[in-house]
Amino acid sequence: MTAALLRDLRLYRRCLGAVIRGIMEYVADFWILIGAGIVTQSLGLVFLGVVFAKVPTLAGWTFPEMVLIYSLFGIVAGVLPIFADGIWNLGRLIHEGRFDYLLTRPYSPLLQVLSRSMGFNGVGDTLASLAMFGWAVAHVDVAWTPGTVLVGLVLLASAIALRLALLVIGNSAAFWVRSPFVFAITVLRVGELGRYPIGIYGLGIRLLLTTALPFAFTAFYPAAWLLGRGGQAWLGLGTPLVAALAWLAALKIFNLGLRRYESSGH
Amino acid sequence: MKHLLRRRFTTMTAVDAIDLSIEPGEALAYVGPNGAGKSTTIKLLTGIVEPTGGEVRVGGIVPHRDRQANARQIGVLFGQRTQLWWDLPVRESLALLRDMYDISPTDYQRQLDRFDEVLDLGALLPVVTRKLSLGQRMRADLACALLHQPKIVYLDEPTIGLDIAVKDRVRDFLRQLRAEGTTIMLTTHDLADIEGTCERIVIIDDGKIIYDGGLAEVKDRYARERRVHLQLGTPITAADLAARFPAAAVTPGEAHGEFTISFDKSLLTAGAVLTGVAQLAEVVEVRIDEPAIEDVVRRVYAGELNITPGPADAAGAHPPSASPTSAHPAGTHAASARAAYAAGAADARAAGVPGAEDVTGAAGDVDPAEEASR
Repeated sequence: MTAALLRDLRLYRRCLGAVIRGIMEYVADFWILIGAGIVTQSLGLVFLGVVFAKVPTLAGWTFPEMVLIYSLFGIVAGVLPIFADGIWNLGRLIHEGRFDYLLTRPYSPLLQVLSRSMGFNGVGDTLASLAMFGWAVAHVDVAWTPGTVLVGLVLLASAIALRLALLVIGNSAAFWVRSPFVFAITVLRVGELGRYPIGIYGLGIRLLLTTALPFAFTAFYPAAWLLGRGGQAWLGLGTPLVAALAWLAALKIFNLGLRRYESSGH
Repeated sequence: MKHLLRRRFTTMTAVDAIDLSIEPGEALAYVGPNGAGKSTTIKLLTGIVEPTGGEVRVGGIVPHRDRQANARQIGVLFGQRTQLWWDLPVRESLALLRDMYDISPTDYQRQLDRFDEVLDLGALLPVVTRKLSLGQRMRADLACALLHQPKIVYLDEPTIGLDIAVKDRVRDFLRQLRAEGTTIMLTTHDLADIEGTCERIVIIDDGKIIYDGGLAEVKDRYARERRVHLQLGTPITAADLAARFPAAAVTPGEAHGEFTISFDKSLLTAGAVLTGVAQLAEVVEVRIDEPAIEDVVRRVYAGELNITPGPADAAGAHPPSASPTSAHPAGTHAASARAAYAAGAADARAAGVPGAEDVTGAAGDVDPAEEASR
């Protein structure tokens, strides 16, 4: 069991390493992607700044608190492309028949897909988001203890795992439909709503972001727990559970897809 | 409603009641026209797709149920697609596969040396996949498929689009594999691939096996015609020759003194023809045409011949129980219930029916560009 897990991890690292070496063939692309990530995140911050120049608080949240949620989301969303961007290849692999080879190798097809490419824009996203997060932490009222840090890290890891599970679910649509991106990107768009305190939305969207597509757990609820704010601060502690459930669903759906995979070509 | 059901029914038929067993160490040629179900059979055997009916076993493993265990005993090459990592040198792709298959450094090096010897792989190792020519890519892909020394090898069109020199190289390599006792299933349009490699041929059409037996036997039974092309130094007419060989057909060639004598090899031998001709005229040049298996298969495709396997092939030669590999998928009939709710799958499966060949070709062609754009 442990040996198998270690082997999976080692192979994952090897596959990613190979992808990095491939990308490094184009050094210019590498820097442009990182730059693009930083610019994207900064633009979002400018938008927030503009909003808060007009209003002091948004649904009771101050500017630094908003930046905290926003940047936490940015970190979660930025880290994933660095090590699991391959999920976005699933649709193309399936429809071009290249998924076939993955099924003839003694390594999990899902892990092969995930480790198949790398988005260096994620590096830029993560760096910019970390900077914002640092600024926000310095300007919000959080009593930092070793416990807070530890739980915070667990929540962060859970949030990253949760987002990946949701992306796996979204992209697994490729097993059923010809244009999987429409579905996956819709999922992602819904996810963007999780960048802001969900109190600003109506009940329907709040429920959606908490249950069916629980993107609120990828940033808002963990941040709310950290800030000890809002009636639902305790909900943030449920992030690991939500992540685990989302992974169960993701694996179930991916495996169902595998079972009905019929391959293209004759 | 009726229309819908009918459509699904035809769409889903990729292979239908294929009953096939392969002995350990056997080399099997699996031929048939486009969309006959060749690749679908390979996908069933490799576990890529799950049969909608019947069962598949490879070396005691049910491939689609235990894909990773099956993966260790098989090697697969889809000639129209590469499994190499697009932006990486060939060496890197091979190293990744080495790790996935847990190949020891000594075995790995031995295999690389061997591929260098038979496929001249050494020169390709530092080259990035996207810079490989088709022939180079195919050699590298062969190395990928065989790196872990699989017991069973499925090769789907391993010489497609290659020039003669590379084709010969690939064929030599296949013969070598065969000699080492690797079980080979070879799908091809180029029947020169199978001569010298395979002793058994299975012809499939429209999802059904229409012939299963010895390659030599097919040639014996259905390709008995021999042709002797002669260049004669003495003036003589076709009628003179025809009179000498009543059992043969004589046609004059384009140039003066050229003749072609066609005969059934069970009625006449090339030696007898030559001896007979030599008594009538001076023979300047001789060429004897062996029938190519292409001709036979072409005739089967065209529906001219209706070959049925001899009883020996069906019962004695290939007992299913002793086989490492056997497929008994009963395509559509068992699947019709499933098809009712699997409408989405129908599209993908459609590629398995005649007429969908272009789809595959296109997918193979765009492959590199798409991969590069990611």
